[in-house]
Amino acid sequence: MNPPLSRIFGPAALVLLLLAGCATRPPADDPEALQEFRENNDPFEPANRALFEVNEAIDKAVLQPIAEAYRDLLPKPVRSGIRNVLGNLRTPTILIGDLLQGNMTRARETTGRFIVNSTIGIGGIVDVGRRYDVHGHSEDMGQTFAVWGMGEGFYMFVPLLGPTTARDLTGFAIDVYTNPQSLIGQGYALDAWNYTRIGMTVVDTREALLEPFDMVRKTSLDPYATLRSAYRQRRSFEILNKDGPGGAVAPAGGVGFGQSVMEPQ
Amino acid sequence: MREFKLSRRLLLAGLIGLAGTKAQAQQMDITRATAFVDKAGQDLVNAINDPRLNQAQRRDKVAGILRSAIDIEGTGRFILGRHVRQASPAELQDYLKLFDEIIIRNLSARFGEYRGVRFSLGRSQQRTEEDALVSTLVERPNNPAFTLDWRVAEINGQPRVVDVIAEGTSLRLTTRSEYAAVIQRNGGRVASLLDAMRGQIAQLAAREGG
Repeated sequence: MNPPLSRIFGPAALVLLLLAGCATRPPADDPEALQEFRENNDPFEPANRALFEVNEAIDKAVLQPIAEAYRDLLPKPVRSGIRNVLGNLRTPTILIGDLLQGNMTRARETTGRFIVNSTIGIGGIVDVGRRYDVHGHSEDMGQTFAVWGMGEGFYMFVPLLGPTTARDLTGFAIDVYTNPQSLIGQGYALDAWNYTRIGMTVVDTREALLEPFDMVRKTSLDPYATLRSAYRQRRSFEILNKDGPGGAVAPAGGVGFGQSVMEPQ
Repeated sequence: MREFKLSRRLLLAGLIGLAGTKAQAQQMDITRATAFVDKAGQDLVNAINDPRLNQAQRRDKVAGILRSAIDIEGTGRFILGRHVRQASPAELQDYLKLFDEIIIRNLSARFGEYRGVRFSLGRSQQRTEEDALVSTLVERPNNPAFTLDWRVAEINGQPRVVDVIAEGTSLRLTTRSEYAAVIQRNGGRVASLLDAMRGQIAQLAAREGG
């Protein structure tokens, strides 16, 4: 989604992958270990763990401090407004998901919310739909693939993007490609706008995850494994559209961290 | 209907008695499960919001309520999973003691932060023959509400919590993956998990100041 970053991290990821190699399959005479291996479905686990550590280092040095400063410096109404705008901008992706999954009720909600929030809500700053009890929801292509019956494929950890699977990463690439904002025209202003949007999405998402991340780092004996399990559970919850009442539209789509993105604190 | 249920339970109990096995999980009645969660939840909320308690007292009170509401041994065994059989009796005993301490410390610390919390019952549903899933809504001032589901099983004739599920993420499933990974990455030794758990308790104790 961010060319310069992918140019840096693409080759780095490849090198790490080659260095770290693949996970060792348990021997065939241990059926339970073998079943656990299949359920984890993490054939590149050593490489994924290395990338997870890379992400931890980047996060502690850069992302987390920025997210904390963002929360400290901007008052809650401003952060709420930013989250609402970013969520509103995700409408095309969400609507495509609703439609491809054949969920017309949710498609109508998404459309209605977009019209009302973009106009009365001043470009999406105010979530007017929510005040009338038409709550937002998230969708993405990975979820649509799942609804169509596609399996999740192997697990992956991508720095800056977080936990994902072969299916969800493919879906994410399609979501980026089908986003009208990455299609219309070219030029300096548009590039600047897109970078701002992507940057704000990263900061807003990380801010939403400050507490859950802290908790996992504090309480888990193996944060990598905890995150892998939480991601899968959270995704199946999202795929079944079981989001709780406090949910808001996650600007980055399903963050899959075992909780829904909510109003800023 | 009620009589039928009762007699079926008696029959079941009789059969189990005859077979001479120790049954841990029996059929869970949804009304009882709901009443149980309601009571435990209200007790927790009252302890968390009690202005007469200082932080240490509050933590102790919350820990006491959690200890009587959760089936710690059953949950601990579920989480250790297939490694229960690998563990020596002494290791298993150590593990259950450490697990008790970690789960109570973690949950008390987390719930202890929820000052001003309110809690209400949501829709309830029976899930399997063995346990019931009771859905609740947790509300805090200046925070969006979230759903917390409690899996309740009948343990030795009493309803007990065997899992909490926050917005789709089950605590016991996540912890099972975590512990399995620690064991697997340390040559399949349960002892390595016990070491890691001891280290964690020391850290938690240091942070709480005691």
